[in-house]
Amino acid sequence: MTMAAHSPDLDEGEARAGFLARHELPVSLVAGGILLALILAAVVLAPALAPADPNAVDLKVIRRPPSAEHLFGTDAIGRDLFSRVLYGGQVSLLVAGAGMIGSLTFGAVMGMLRAFGPWFLRPVVDRMIDIQLAFPYVLLAIAITSAVKPSVPVLILLMVLAGWAGVARVVRAIALQERAKDYVKAAEILGASGLRISLFHVFPGVLPGLMVLAAMQTAAMIVFEATLSFLGMGIQPPTASWGGIMLEGKDYITSSWWLTTFPGLAILMTSLSLVLIGDGMEARSERLRAKETEA
Amino acid sequence: MTAMRQALLDVAELSVAFPGRNGPIRAVDGVSFRLEPGESLVIAGESGSGKSMLCRALMNIQPGAASVTATRMDWQGRALGALSPRDWRALRGGQMAMIFQDPAAALNPLLSVGRQIMDVVNAHRACSRAQARSRAIEVLGLAGLPEPEARLASYPSQLSGGMRQRVAIALALAAAPKLIIADEATTNLDVSIQAQIVALLKRLQRELGLGLIFVTHDLDLAAEVGGRLMVMYAGQPVETGPVQTVLKDPCHPYTRGLLRSAPTLHSSRETPLQPIPGQTPKPGAVGAGAPFRSRCPVSVEGVCDVRRAPWSEAGPGHRVACNRFALDGRGGLP
Amino acid sequence: MSKPMIEACGIDKTFTLRRDGRLVEHRALKTVSADLHEGEILGIVGESGSGKTTLSRIMIGIDTASKGEILFHGDRVATRREWRDLRRHVQYVFQDPFTALCPTMRIGKALAEPLAIHGIGSREERPARVARVLEMVGLHPDMAGRLPSQLSGGQRQRVNLARALMSEPKVLICDEIVSGLDVSVQAQVLALLLDLQKRLGLSLIFISHDLRVIRYLCDRVLVMYLGEIVEQGRTDEVFAAPKHDYTRRLLAAIPDRDRPAHHSPIDEALK
Repeated sequence: MTMAAHSPDLDEGEARAGFLARHELPVSLVAGGILLALILAAVVLAPALAPADPNAVDLKVIRRPPSAEHLFGTDAIGRDLFSRVLYGGQVSLLVAGAGMIGSLTFGAVMGMLRAFGPWFLRPVVDRMIDIQLAFPYVLLAIAITSAVKPSVPVLILLMVLAGWAGVARVVRAIALQERAKDYVKAAEILGASGLRISLFHVFPGVLPGLMVLAAMQTAAMIVFEATLSFLGMGIQPPTASWGGIMLEGKDYITSSWWLTTFPGLAILMTSLSLVLIGDGMEARSERLRAKETEA
Repeated sequence: MTAMRQALLDVAELSVAFPGRNGPIRAVDGVSFRLEPGESLVIAGESGSGKSMLCRALMNIQPGAASVTATRMDWQGRALGALSPRDWRALRGGQMAMIFQDPAAALNPLLSVGRQIMDVVNAHRACSRAQARSRAIEVLGLAGLPEPEARLASYPSQLSGGMRQRVAIALALAAAPKLIIADEATTNLDVSIQAQIVALLKRLQRELGLGLIFVTHDLDLAAEVGGRLMVMYAGQPVETGPVQTVLKDPCHPYTRGLLRSAPTLHSSRETPLQPIPGQTPKPGAVGAGAPFRSRCPVSVEGVCDVRRAPWSEAGPGHRVACNRFALDGRGGLP
Repeated sequence: MSKPMIEACGIDKTFTLRRDGRLVEHRALKTVSADLHEGEILGIVGESGSGKTTLSRIMIGIDTASKGEILFHGDRVATRREWRDLRRHVQYVFQDPFTALCPTMRIGKALAEPLAIHGIGSREERPARVARVLEMVGLHPDMAGRLPSQLSGGQRQRVNLARALMSEPKVLICDEIVSGLDVSVQAQVLALLLDLQKRLGLSLIFISHDLRVIRYLCDRVLVMYLGEIVEQGRTDEVFAAPKHDYTRRLLAAIPDRDRPAHHSPIDEALK
């Protein structure tokens, strides 16, 4: 005779099966990954997919709504919006991606330096992080773009300046936490230098956190670039970027809705996919850690 | 039929299983025992033995994925499997209470000691604030805390480890339960405090007629607690009997191995300890057959691989589950 | 009589702690002196707050003493360079096998690291040395490819020991290294420790709160209480005839399966 006693669930212990569960792949990670892959493919294959030259002016088809011929419609000077969005994606993603790599690198170095570097650098790095986080970036953008012509390199630099402190703060926190653990002391006693410890012992543990941050940062930078371009401080016409395309359509928001909606959707979908990936990676490392401790 | 003193707990073939990749993982596999009021049962084992999961199953606080099965699981004659969540809530704290290994984890750091104890009292008995308060002072005193009235306002963070465990004991006593389960309750404490806590539990047992289930990995401590001993390995009970009997005359190769590998106050390097080769098994890693066979010096070829040992009588009240012992009545001793 | 290998002279250590919102000074070690002779196993025993771990950390230089000094072979150890030299010959094994190993580094790499740092052996020789030490601690050389999370507590503690042995030290300081292990695994690690001590001629400082392990393992013992050494001497003498009241109380509190039940101090305490 068997009796199963029912109990309030103190843990979530769902019996799991299926491919996703077995490889500890959260749905968010997979969904975000697929979406991003599709967007990247579309943007990279722009020359193949775009039906027209994004800069080809055709005054006969001004502001036509979406149709079979012009999937996203046409803009105020007759350019095919679909082609512009595809090519614009190349610029937006390039700027956001490069900005992310730059801010991640610089931020990680600063964070590790704070945790493992010489004692006199610590307050310096801390204050730098504080100042950067408090700084209003749009103002900095205005200042820089009034002095220098905004171009892709300038924009990437702005991204790095805006993004590094968030990365440094996270890396600093993780590195300081690890530094207090026994294995770091053990390495010190074995004679390892601070550099060796930070690079070979602690940094691999920081990496998962950095990956999550990478996804989230890229999402933020896509929006940031779009914002700057929309405000006229970003990529200058005729080069399209998603924010720039929205700027061009700004005056026709109600009359020609497609001019702002489609680039807006592109920004939204890309950001969403990256946030999903970031969330998914975080959930995945939580699960892997939980599995480890229960072993 | 004459009126029989009713057992507090009457458990037969209790098992706790988790769903696993290749079939259910039995963290507890076929435990049976009877506990009378005022008796103590010491459950001894290492990690993976299932001793903690057993305690949780007795209080119905096992993880949600676990399924508890038994041919009998009665509390004072009542079948525990038939209880509703509401009945369980009344039972837990009110009839049986548990003390855990880490006193800091068992106490709420944000509430005062008095408040926590009074909450327990109020949950199980309708009484006024003054009555709850005086009960709190009473159990704090029972648990050996000096100046119990002053302690009501203390917070757990202000107390030492030993005092926190005493507060945990007071919490357990608050609603006057009949059974206390102490799950490695002294493992994290200093040795002198450990001795005091064990003395306290034994005194409470005597004075209040409490049943005590004491879980430990330390066989010497088992000797101090006294009562009956059940040695567990890989979720299965392997030897049971009066504590002193089992320790003086161990019949199961695992019990013997444990006794030979644990240092005592009289050990020295002249008589080297004999470690048990191999590692303690993870739950569910043992498979069919005698659980200890891979590390056993006297396993029976062809038998221990295949079937679990039946219970054999080794003396009055002393039973052992060993294939070798069933064969030769000596467990492989010369 | 030869100079002691490592000596702590008049060590004082005061910590500043925050308690109840105020800063208080806590004197963890009160003018403590101890020494370790060649080839001996010295036990340091005490309960929480006794200062035994603080003393051991000062002896390896993880913490610095407020007063007093550490001598190695009679020479004072004070500068960073002197500590680095000391650590070539004195190694420390941490208590918690779960946090003492870098979670992202494979065992083989973690073991080869001391060789790389101190320039012992050529790069080609390292895997062979690692394999040899792994075998010495009773692990299969294949373990070199695993991560710490794939090993059990006992195996990790063996790796800890192996890592400490890579630079061929003369002294090992073991801080509660068997305290978190199952009884049967503990016995394995103790047997290993004794074997290594004999084979390699090590001198050991063994810190524990468990008097039974100390009794088994150590030649000499220091009993610590609240930052002071209250008794010291040969293990069998201290256990047979403890002089200090605290030692007596401590011994009486240890559970003992061989002690007749009615003489149990716990039952004494019940009266």
